[in-house]
Amino acid sequence: MAKKIPGAWAILVGGLTLLAGSAAAQSVTGKAFGTYANLAGVQSQSPVASLPSTGGMATGQTDAFSVAGAVDAQWLNAVTTGAVDNKKTGAQSTSEVENVSMAGGAITADIVTAVATSYFGQFTGGSDATGSGFTNLLVNGVAVTEDVAPNTRVDIPGLGYAILNERIPTGNGVTSWGMTVNMIHVVLQNQLGPTGEIIIGSASSSVSR
Amino acid sequence: MNKARHLSLALGAIAAILVAVACQDAASPPGHITAGGSPPPKGGGGCANFRLTGGGRIDARDHNGFAKNTPESHDFATFGFQARPTSSCPPTDGSGNLEWQEHNPADFGGGFSFHGTVTFFTTTADETAGDSRCGRFGGFGRVKTRDGRTFDNVPFEVRHACDVDEPGVGNDHIAITIGVYSRHGILSGGNIQQHRLTGNN
Repeated sequence: MAKKIPGAWAILVGGLTLLAGSAAAQSVTGKAFGTYANLAGVQSQSPVASLPSTGGMATGQTDAFSVAGAVDAQWLNAVTTGAVDNKKTGAQSTSEVENVSMAGGAITADIVTAVATSYFGQFTGGSDATGSGFTNLLVNGVAVTEDVAPNTRVDIPGLGYAILNERIPTGNGVTSWGMTVNMIHVVLQNQLGPTGEIIIGSASSSVSR
Repeated sequence: MNKARHLSLALGAIAAILVAVACQDAASPPGHITAGGSPPPKGGGGCANFRLTGGGRIDARDHNGFAKNTPESHDFATFGFQARPTSSCPPTDGSGNLEWQEHNPADFGGGFSFHGTVTFFTTTADETAGDSRCGRFGGFGRVKTRDGRTFDNVPFEVRHACDVDEPGVGNDHIAITIGVYSRHGILSGGNIQQHRLTGNN
């Protein structure tokens, strides 16, 4: 009997090592911002909230943000929170922008809200953008009275096009889950191709184990 | 005689209520937030052996539904927080931060942003008392209204933040008081998670 003990210890130690390795590999990411603009290589961005990989909380806020001819916005608030835990890990990011006018007034909205949530528990994991939305959105002067479906493309005459409620899932769905949502993603282009981009209301989160 | 007296008292009471309501309406808008109020109560909850993180959106003002309001509605709030008890309890001191954005123009200041610092953390003392999935915390913070005013040292209390299930939408719920403003309901976006007391985050 006594000879079996070292083998049992080896299995136990090996199992604990695997568990420790698993715990050490757990991480979260979170990021949120109100506005980003890249106009012919000149970049501007409102304050960014970036979550540490071990969790915690970060914010990025400003009362107003403007890029001449491209975007005007007020009350930009970005928040990301999260925590790493063996039993339950999660990250959630929120971005909000009010009184938005962009691309020469081609797109306006009272409020733009982006929410990205990622989580896993003992048996399941997931990621989603539920809660994201627009309040009083106008595109090319036309009111949008229904919820905007994910990844809706609209043309902006003379400027390019926009992806509304853009959703980019990440992770393998087994050990990692993630989501990026950009509520307004304008791609500026001319006859030669893209010349810049503007993003309003961006939230990202991911978890891995 | 008695009937007449009772009628008189009833009319008097109604008149007093109407006057009180009229005075309140004249003196302060709905959801008026008084700066520098009394400290938030720490009592009523016990030592908690967990911490909470959360963030997302709440459209409801009750616990009966969680649907996102229609696209023309400004009546919703968003939030993010982390909160935990301090290492030794009692006392039920706590730490952390909370961000709350109220978008309803009918609320105080035409809507407001709130940043709070957590000073206490306990188990819950309201209708969720005894529910091990819920925590309670509060402290003080700053209100910035959409009409340009700022109020410091405003007390707040998250009466409960409950991690019911994953995902949080349609399951988790929160109830908050900031001054005399309040909102409570089930999440229409985001998540609330309860974690063990390990690490600093």
